[in-house]
Amino acid sequence: MGLNIKIRFRIVLYLLAILAVVLILRLYFLQIMSGGLYAELASENISREKTVSAPRGNIYDRNGKLLVKSVPVKAVAIEPLIVSENEDVMRILSECLNISYEKIKEKVEKSNLPYTDRLILKQDIDTATMIYLKENSDKLPGVEVIDLYLREYDFGFLASHLLGYTGEIDEERLQSEVYMDYEGGDQIGLTGLEEAYESLLTGKKGKIIYEVDPLGRPVNILEETDPISGNDLYLTIDIDLQRFVEEALYQSILEVRQKKITNTDEYYKVPGGAVVVLDTRNGQVLAMASYPTYNPELFVGGISQAEYAELEDPENHSPLLNRAVMSFPPGSAIKIVPAYAGLTEGIISEYSRFTCAGVWYGLGPDFPKYCWQRGGHGSLDIRGAIKNSCDIYFYQVGYGLLLKNNNTEELLQQYLRTFGFGSATGIDLPNEDEGLVPDKEWKKDYFKDQPGYTVWFPGDTVNMAIGQGDLLVTPLQLAQAYSILANRGLEYKPYLAKEIKDSEGNLFPDSSEDDYQDLNLDESFVKIIEDGMVQVVSPGGTAAGTFWDFPLSEIQIAGKTGTAEFFGKQDYAWFASYAPVGSPQYVVVAMLEEAGSGGSNVAPMIEKIYRYLFNID
Amino acid sequence: MIRRRKSLRDFASFDREKRKIRFDFILFFLVLAISSWGVLVIYSATRETLPGGVSDPGYYMKRQLIWLGAGIIIFIVIQFINYRKIQRYWWLILALGIFSLVAVLLFGYEVHGSKSWIDLRFTTIQPSEFSKIFMVIVLSAIMSKWRSEKVSNVTFRKVVIASFAALTFVVLVLLEPDYGTALIYFIVFIGLLFISGANFLYILSILGLTAGGFFLALNAGFIKQYQLDRILVFLKPDVSSMEGAGYNLYQSKLAIGSGGLLGKGLFLGRQTNLSYVPEHHTDFIFSVIGEEVGFIGAILVILILGIIIWRCFYIASNSSDTFAMLLASGIGFIILSQVVINIGMTIGIMPIIGIPLPFLSSGGSSLISMFLGVALVENVFIWREVRKSHVIAYQEFK
Repeated sequence: MGLNIKIRFRIVLYLLAILAVVLILRLYFLQIMSGGLYAELASENISREKTVSAPRGNIYDRNGKLLVKSVPVKAVAIEPLIVSENEDVMRILSECLNISYEKIKEKVEKSNLPYTDRLILKQDIDTATMIYLKENSDKLPGVEVIDLYLREYDFGFLASHLLGYTGEIDEERLQSEVYMDYEGGDQIGLTGLEEAYESLLTGKKGKIIYEVDPLGRPVNILEETDPISGNDLYLTIDIDLQRFVEEALYQSILEVRQKKITNTDEYYKVPGGAVVVLDTRNGQVLAMASYPTYNPELFVGGISQAEYAELEDPENHSPLLNRAVMSFPPGSAIKIVPAYAGLTEGIISEYSRFTCAGVWYGLGPDFPKYCWQRGGHGSLDIRGAIKNSCDIYFYQVGYGLLLKNNNTEELLQQYLRTFGFGSATGIDLPNEDEGLVPDKEWKKDYFKDQPGYTVWFPGDTVNMAIGQGDLLVTPLQLAQAYSILANRGLEYKPYLAKEIKDSEGNLFPDSSEDDYQDLNLDESFVKIIEDGMVQVVSPGGTAAGTFWDFPLSEIQIAGKTGTAEFFGKQDYAWFASYAPVGSPQYVVVAMLEEAGSGGSNVAPMIEKIYRYLFNID
Repeated sequence: MIRRRKSLRDFASFDREKRKIRFDFILFFLVLAISSWGVLVIYSATRETLPGGVSDPGYYMKRQLIWLGAGIIIFIVIQFINYRKIQRYWWLILALGIFSLVAVLLFGYEVHGSKSWIDLRFTTIQPSEFSKIFMVIVLSAIMSKWRSEKVSNVTFRKVVIASFAALTFVVLVLLEPDYGTALIYFIVFIGLLFISGANFLYILSILGLTAGGFFLALNAGFIKQYQLDRILVFLKPDVSSMEGAGYNLYQSKLAIGSGGLLGKGLFLGRQTNLSYVPEHHTDFIFSVIGEEVGFIGAILVILILGIIIWRCFYIASNSSDTFAMLLASGIGFIILSQVVINIGMTIGIMPIIGIPLPFLSSGGSSLISMFLGVALVENVFIWREVRKSHVIAYQEFK
């Protein structure tokens, strides 16, 4: 064998070695240097994850009566990214779900965004459809039949404003941080307690990680976590009381609507109203009613556009709104605050008397201020002023507060804030109004486009002292303020969720319970105001006519009427109260929109509620 | 001693009487080992997804085992025939090769667009696999007539004759069309020319002519652009080429890459076992190895195959005549080119052309023809003539 050949063999051997090294180097790059990355990609490639819905927690009343429960239904879910590319799938779905092809296409394309990984096409499908879909799953990539939990309301309309309703999560929420763990088609609390306690009520979803073959068909399950159902909520509400209160509210609205405004042919409109019943001892909301109301069942499985439009129609006075936490002018019901402020600041004393002649010229002869009782009340002390709700008396208290220190401290506003007005009570409900305690700063800002109105006039404070002007309060705030009086200065935060029961059955109290602070009120002044409020329901008081046959000697009620003027509308009627005086248990506050006098049109409803509360026939 | 050997060299003659039974155990056992490993890998690759709609999880493994058995039998039987007899009847083998390749064009059926299979009722065969070996025998026979003692005796005429023989094989395979196999044929031909001692000018001319022919074919439209794209997909490994061959490559890289250093364990290569990698029991079998036994296992496979190839060339370089040398080298080139192109294809450094990985890919024709090939190499080793000098040296050593 010649030398030439030997060299050529050697060259081949070198080539062999080089090629082996090249292959090994490439493998080193793939497996050692990029191994981790490829391992990750491979497991993404091969495994799929799907979630299993967890039942939402139930809601019970304080006595354990089931108000809202979860019922499982079958729903058709699709992956928009897969389905949008497959017209056959949409066609089959259209046929078997009885939804038009165009509608499916529109829905899929509209939500064809990277973060919408799941879309519910139809909820609550029947068994035949479910079996059909499951049997034809080979032909329907990206389509899945899933379990979904929908709400069922055992008490229909009752407490609907408190409970709220659930609905499918929208894309905006899906994008937000708060709803990171949610996916398309999930039911979330949209209003009321359902919204406020979303994180507690919603369960923890189960997870199934499974392997799929290259066609996306499941091969085997790698990991399975069971869903954990949401926590149950036990409310402070007594559903029987709630029923009674809601019916009383409805009845009294119907009754007031039969009445004409004095000396006119105009009937009271009474588009709506609200009642709040609190336990003074702890701030628990025992009942909270708002009229008009709605049926939360409408929202189960998605509300139709027509139904929603009807709820939103101004003709129907916004039944979705919870008026108990909305702002209204309080009228005379606010007078307890200027009374306390006047006593504390030394504007008046227990025995200070003013004479009411029906009109007051304290702001100057060009600015007469009238009492609601044009004939005048004569000489009154603070108790009498509360009893008769004398405006002249409180104009002067307000004026005195204004004059003190040149109104640099805005004393009336300070006291109003002390009693909780102008800020949310912090009740466990979403969308609570803060109300409005107007002051110089607010006025400057609010009227910044109307120079000349930005100045704080003495009349502003004077008006505020009788609950007029720009002052706005919520029925709940008023209830809390009366509760503060009843408690001699202890302020409880009102709340609705009493206890929470987790999926293992452990009960734990909601953190908001018994959260109170002492406002350090002067008890003797509070007592003076209470005396006046006792007289309100006693003979001669503004609500005397209503309580004449109520056993006040056994259960003494302290109350205050309110009739707020509202520009362009009929008067707003209020009655705020607590009982029994001495050892208070309940605060009951009611408001009727455009219903005239609180004494004659709201107090009767309150009286009925007290009869129910204290078991009096 | 050395001087004596040198002096005896000129009197070299063959000592038939004192020839002992020789056997290259390294070659045989490595081939046996790697083929057995292949059976295991095939079982892992096919037991779950069962390509071809079979119901027995062990179907492909058992088939491979049967072929392995047949391969071993052929290996042993071949050793009883002196390769010189095969050399004498090279024209018969040429006829057989041409006949089988023509037959497949006439009676074959198509798989993946190539008419390369013949259905023999009891089994199917792929003549182009066997013809590789046939071509090596034929070319070795033709070329060995070029030179007896002297090296640079490869004349232009002989190169032309050999080229025509090779061209016949290549064209027949191209007609199927099976470009991958044709490429192997071509590489083996060039390799044989190289080893035979042919002038580099000839080799370069043939390469040049081939390149010209290729571009001509491309221009004339015999080779479509998409076919070229498909073959060259490895050059643009972005995810946008995730269809067709690009998908295969991506999945294969995922499988191998995810294997890491030690692999996921035998039978635990989910990527391949769930057949994300297409053809994972045949052309892409290496991705199963890469995924299941990782870098270490893959190196081991490359080492074993490398030693087998080295053994072929070693035996070739120590053979006693030109035919034997070319025959063993030719087999070495077949295995070398297929191993490098196949493994390279699964890891994205070689074009995606459908050729099996020797000894490992599932398939009877491939395995048996490979056994036939290494049997011939072993035959060259066994039947080589020992020069007297060696015998004398051996006796003196004793």
